[in-house]
Amino acid sequence: MTAYHQDVLNIVQAKFLSPEVVKCIHLNVSLVDAPWNTFYRLFALVECNKSFGLFVLISEKWRPESITDVSIERAIPIDQYFSCDTEVIPESQKYLFFIINYKEFEYKFLIQIGLESSNFASQVIYSKENSDSNKLLDLSWCDKYSNNLYLSHSNSYNNMNDQSQVNIRPNSSRGQSTNNNRESLLKYQLKLKEPDYTKREEFTIFCGTWNVNGKAPTEKLHEWLRCESKPPDIYAVGFQEIDLSKEAFLFNDTPREIEWYNLVNSTINHDKKLYHNVALIRLVGIQLIVFVKNEHYGCIKNVSVDTVGTGILGKMGNKGGVAVRFMLHNTMLCFVCSHLAAHVEEYERRNQDFKDIISRVNFKRHPLTVKEHDQIFWLGDLNYRINNMSTQEVKRLVNNNDFNALLKNDQLNEQRERGSAFVGFQEGEITFQPTYKFDVNSNIYDTSEKARPPAWTDRILWKGRYIHLVKYTSHMKLSMSDHKPVSAYFVSEISVIDEAKYKEIHEDLLRTMDKQENEYLPQVTIDKTEIAFDLVKFEEPQIQELIIANTGVVPAEFEFIKKLDDDSYCKDWLKILPYYGSINPGEKCDVKLEVTLKTNLSKLYDILVLHLKGGKDMFIILNGNVQKSCFFSPISMLCRIPFPIMKLNEEQWKQAESLELPIRYCIPREIFLLVDHLYRHGLKTKDLFESSSLSELVSIRDWLDFGSQDPMPGSVQAAAESLLLFLTHTQDPVIPYDQHDACIASARNYQNCKQIIIQKLPDLHRNVFLYICLFLQELLKHANENGFDAKTLALIFGDALLRDKILNSKPQASRGKSDFIYNFLVNDLSSAIIPTK
Amino acid sequence: MARDYDHLFKLLIIGDSGVGKSSLLLRFSDNTFTGNYITTIGVDFKIKTVSIDGQKIKLQIWDTAGQERFRTITSTYYRGTHGVIVVYDVTNGESFANVKRWLHEIEQNCDVVNRVLVGNKNDSPEIKVVLTEDAQRFADTMNIQLFETSAKDNLNVEEMFMAVTKLVVRSKLEMKERQSVTQNDTVNLRKTNKSGKKRCC
Repeated sequence: MTAYHQDVLNIVQAKFLSPEVVKCIHLNVSLVDAPWNTFYRLFALVECNKSFGLFVLISEKWRPESITDVSIERAIPIDQYFSCDTEVIPESQKYLFFIINYKEFEYKFLIQIGLESSNFASQVIYSKENSDSNKLLDLSWCDKYSNNLYLSHSNSYNNMNDQSQVNIRPNSSRGQSTNNNRESLLKYQLKLKEPDYTKREEFTIFCGTWNVNGKAPTEKLHEWLRCESKPPDIYAVGFQEIDLSKEAFLFNDTPREIEWYNLVNSTINHDKKLYHNVALIRLVGIQLIVFVKNEHYGCIKNVSVDTVGTGILGKMGNKGGVAVRFMLHNTMLCFVCSHLAAHVEEYERRNQDFKDIISRVNFKRHPLTVKEHDQIFWLGDLNYRINNMSTQEVKRLVNNNDFNALLKNDQLNEQRERGSAFVGFQEGEITFQPTYKFDVNSNIYDTSEKARPPAWTDRILWKGRYIHLVKYTSHMKLSMSDHKPVSAYFVSEISVIDEAKYKEIHEDLLRTMDKQENEYLPQVTIDKTEIAFDLVKFEEPQIQELIIANTGVVPAEFEFIKKLDDDSYCKDWLKILPYYGSINPGEKCDVKLEVTLKTNLSKLYDILVLHLKGGKDMFIILNGNVQKSCFFSPISMLCRIPFPIMKLNEEQWKQAESLELPIRYCIPREIFLLVDHLYRHGLKTKDLFESSSLSELVSIRDWLDFGSQDPMPGSVQAAAESLLLFLTHTQDPVIPYDQHDACIASARNYQNCKQIIIQKLPDLHRNVFLYICLFLQELLKHANENGFDAKTLALIFGDALLRDKILNSKPQASRGKSDFIYNFLVNDLSSAIIPTK
Repeated sequence: MARDYDHLFKLLIIGDSGVGKSSLLLRFSDNTFTGNYITTIGVDFKIKTVSIDGQKIKLQIWDTAGQERFRTITSTYYRGTHGVIVVYDVTNGESFANVKRWLHEIEQNCDVVNRVLVGNKNDSPEIKVVLTEDAQRFADTMNIQLFETSAKDNLNVEEMFMAVTKLVVRSKLEMKERQSVTQNDTVNLRKTNKSGKKRCC
């Protein structure tokens, strides 16, 4: 490991709490296919109590230098839901994909192959094996890193994953946001309809609290926990001060936990096993145990616990609270057991402790606060005392059973009236004597020197609807502690789901929402699914229109997309304008499809795929016939046809195409006609090779293809342009493609150029080449009149005679081509002319 | 993550032109039927959420053009499909004869082969030409479940879609189990696998 690596590891380690050890890191990983990939990412494998988590961190800088440069983006527990893959990238020796699967999510990262990656992967796999062999690992420590600033990114991760799962095209509009909307909408709708599928059933709940003053459990608890003739459905039994030792305080570890648990368990499951444990949670000496009757255990779900310390420094566990929450049927219950600050004058600290606990409890596995629950039961040594009364006075009133005078001065009642604590909570009428402070093993209030005034320190309150208190009392017979236990027995109405009705309503909602989702898919209609072009002719573009109408309720983004292995969304003879766009509901878009022939085709046929983003694809079939023309035809074929090619019947055409007919002319008839026309009418014309009108070109094309008694139509410029068009569109160029480089290379030497022409060109091509060159030499003889020079003509005809495969694909080669042609315009060609065999 | 389904699956409906693929989808998703025949020229899909064993399954069901000339294009939509519904028309012997070709298409283009065979338009016995016994015998040899449905009379449509969904769910669960069983104790990152993909844990 490099020093730099070690530095980053230290920086990453600082992101975690003390029991969490960063085992190894992997620098420079990048998330694949992420458009937001603007961060540098790294992996960290972190161990805590023999369980592992894989963390994705993002860094502001390529090389993070301080703790502020990195933040945790994702925490992925390595448990039974975790797996990872590597995927080899074909032809890449340097990188591979590292794929992490967690539950239904898949994240794909690019990593560099090397020692670092194999080390890291081995460690991850080791930790995965470790987790597989020990299914009871507690990975909840990872949870606290899951909520972070980059939630939007993590949503995108999921989105990405959804696509990979069902192969929805990239940029699909059905992203995670839609799903989140659907989920919250569904929850909201279900909540609205709750009365339709739930009914309230009565459950009995026993809450008990006892400050046991650090004593080991030596007394039987029957008097306290089994005082009701009807066993309750739920027990929530809280203790305070189960262990006052330093060890318990410092290490939060005590043998008393299990001892008290066993005692409670054996007390309530005395005769037979009636109850099932739901939760046991302890913070130093504060412990809460929840049991439920066996028959209800299956109706409990989403159990979660948390602890909050409010003691020394405001966070140590000598004071504070523990909480258990769960769903019983359809009601969310929460039980809190707390031990608040002591001493008469510290009531404000107690208020604050209460507020701290209620706000800081966070059930991580089900991110809820205490207040969000339907029914809350709060029990414990709340430590509120009686104001402004001497011990003697309090004892006298207690002895007289005059509780009213005392309760008027009870701090808890006072603080609640002021709204300083336990707002919204209720408490039953206190009809029992103060539960604190007794001489141990007696029912006599404190006789020690301190002689503390008795107080109702131990209380049980509740908040929420449908809770009915049946009995609220203390238990004087238990005397091992300086507190007496207190209990409250409730009848609580719990919302129970009628499964059949729920299913019906739920499915109904799903149906409605599916319907909506389908309606909200983009919808368009097209005015035709088959487009037939009229007879398509050389040099005559043809346009057809397609009308796309948005018939849906959302804007439709359309695009013509590639199909199969095509390079483009359409063939090279077609132009689609626009080929993508957006159409608002009710509106239309006219799409122009323009055909221009570029090569010789016997027929036009293609299927276009019109794709709607996040929606369907439509196919559009294109058809068209192509008019045969001498343009596009091979020189070798034209030399075999002694008359206009449209005069050929099918049979003759086939024979000509397959070169079965004998050679009739040494150059194509059309070239002769064009050149002859120019020779006779155009030698003295200035600007002969200026472009001319389409109609003139078309009439010359038809004159050549169909033949006519009339002289050639159009201007000499049109004839000249037709000649150039002809030469640039013959099916095979006059000088074969494979000779172009040799031609350009030998351009400086006429003899070499001549050798190519003599040796490398097919006879008919050589004829055409020399015929054109001789004609150009004739043109140059009249340079005075027509203004041409050899350089200009070489440039014009270089690109025609040495035509590129794709028009103008190599404009930089024009110079070399023209240099080559130049040789043949200024030298005597007679030695190049050899008689046709 | 909050979302309204436990699984998201892609289903594909294929078969000759005019056997009722779109009608089956419309019956299942909207519970409607129209006698007007509009040939599908393209591929379209609908969303439908169903519950199986308490799990919410979101289906994205793709309906494809059946015409021969689109066959190569539609085959590109097979990718990522979890289940395929092969439809023929019980009143059209040729559409049944072509089922073999469609099954072959699946083999060529799909990794996962959860398939069902569906004889649609099973509502007019007097013009039925593909006998149930023949279809069943063929289905048995191909090891594929047969359903005879009528989108028009709403016969067996729901059952058929649920059956293929169950197949898909089952094979996903099986795959998960296999995945958790298969384990390698070492990892060789340079292992060049022809398929490019290698389970390492």
